[in-house]
Amino acid sequence: MNPSIRSSVRRHPEGITIGLVILISVAFAVITQGGWLSIGNLQSISQVTAVLAIMAFGEAMVIATGEIDISVGSVSGIGALTFLGLAPVVGSGLALLAAIVCGVFIGTLNGIFVALLGLPSLLVTLGTLFLFQGIGYAVTSGFSFAATDAVRQEFIYNTVGGGYIAGVNVAAIWALIVLVVLQLIVFETPIGNRILAVGGDAGSSFSRGVSVTKIKFGVYVVSGVLAAFAGVLDAASIGYADGSFGATMELSAIAAAVLGGCHLTGGRISLLGTLFGAFMLRGIQSFLILLAVEPQWYILVVGLIVVLASVADRTLTRFATKG
Amino acid sequence: MRTTDGAADSRQPLISIKNVSLSYGNFKALTDVSVDFFQGELVGLVGDNGAGKTTLIRIISGINPPTSGEVYFDGEKITKFHPKKAMDLGLECIQQSIGICDNLSVGRNYFLGREPVKRVLGLPFLDKKKIREASAKVVHDFGLRDTVDVDDEIALLSGGEKQTFKIARAVTFRNRVIIMDEPTNHLSVRERAHVNELAVQLKQQGLLVIYITHDIFQIHRIADRIVIMENGRKVTDVPRDAMSADALEGIIRDGGRAPSKGPKVA
Repeated sequence: MNPSIRSSVRRHPEGITIGLVILISVAFAVITQGGWLSIGNLQSISQVTAVLAIMAFGEAMVIATGEIDISVGSVSGIGALTFLGLAPVVGSGLALLAAIVCGVFIGTLNGIFVALLGLPSLLVTLGTLFLFQGIGYAVTSGFSFAATDAVRQEFIYNTVGGGYIAGVNVAAIWALIVLVVLQLIVFETPIGNRILAVGGDAGSSFSRGVSVTKIKFGVYVVSGVLAAFAGVLDAASIGYADGSFGATMELSAIAAAVLGGCHLTGGRISLLGTLFGAFMLRGIQSFLILLAVEPQWYILVVGLIVVLASVADRTLTRFATKG
Repeated sequence: MRTTDGAADSRQPLISIKNVSLSYGNFKALTDVSVDFFQGELVGLVGDNGAGKTTLIRIISGINPPTSGEVYFDGEKITKFHPKKAMDLGLECIQQSIGICDNLSVGRNYFLGREPVKRVLGLPFLDKKKIREASAKVVHDFGLRDTVDVDDEIALLSGGEKQTFKIARAVTFRNRVIIMDEPTNHLSVRERAHVNELAVQLKQQGLLVIYITHDIFQIHRIADRIVIMENGRKVTDVPRDAMSADALEGIIRDGGRAPSKGPKVA
């Protein structure tokens, strides 16, 4: 086979996902006789895609170092609850800051246990997933937090999810900003080179003077901040949140990253692919809704896609690194 | 303990290891090792598998701190053990099994940990042009295939090419010390000869070269001094001319227990 094809597959793992997204978009549009492609539907897909993508970008950063963060669902829930709970009291600006601080805090907690103490990230973040989900339920104790009319008028509230630009929720703009910033950091800076190096081979990176501890700690804080921010964007768009907010989002975030060409073994990620992975998941969800398929089937479909994606991924990797 | 010849003794050692021990849990990898290394010498560090050669190198290159004992570099006591610190002091190490990240390109591996940057709006971005050009030159100078693309993942190189790359990187960034841990692994006979020539050249340029190997006959031809380790202890430390390669091999074969050649091993 042509070596340049191998080389481009190697360098652009997201290519397949993007191709697939275009393919299923066309298929969905045809099957729903244009319903899926309607402006209203695309607007709603772009909002939910943006929220999921921002969370998945943080996940991708952690995956880049060869670790995992399954606490992001709970972190987004805590971010959402903090924002909506405090906004009527202190204003949406301080509420946003508090939500971000929560993200930093949980990310730091994960970072301490994984990076400093060297505990398995799956267990640590499973623990924080449950811990902060529990706190979310305890704080709301069956009630939900809602944005008051006064809060909905605030500029910051509208900047972080409540507002629309040209009919598109501002979350989509935020997702693009985060994408560009992270893309530059990961692929164009020394820090990014070291993040990928740590995921590729932590021991070798360390021997070249890279501080593996700092890098891993850093990506957990980034993941925490982005998950909390995604929670704020989602909560401001919906206008209310309860204790279950963000539940199971971590699975979609991981699925989006994996679909997008991020290797769970670390060292190879694609942020653009992750965006398309998130779009694919949300697009399928919306398609099923339009077909009036019961929502629980969505989870089944996601499961199938992720399994198929991992098989395809391995096949492609073998193809691309052969000779 | 034997020491090097008188000329070397009068100088300050570049690296001085004093009573260093290292334990992993109950396992003692190094026991009370003291050894000096001088600028401009080629030292062969020899011993059987598990003798503690690589462990000693891991301490010198900052990967592991010792459990007890001291390490001095150029007369200054090392208090913080980190590979970055060692690199900053001018030490390059060709590790045996680590040192390359397969997922990164050849160029990115070359500069890993010391990436060149160009400032854009005050922010540090990778200087990709420099990364590409500098690493391409090194890859070419050290005789890797012309088809090697420095933008491609280093995983595509063969074992021998990766080893050549590691040597090339260490030699190009050479500063004061080069440590080679089994550098001729994966290499052809011709490449081995080339690596040995390189080691001698580096020494002649005034660097300290510490060369770890199993092959006493090979190192005896080029080293100024031979240090033999066994069971985590230093058992012999002699100028090359003091003993024949056969005699030294005898010490290694007998596990450092040759009667008059070193302290008793428990």
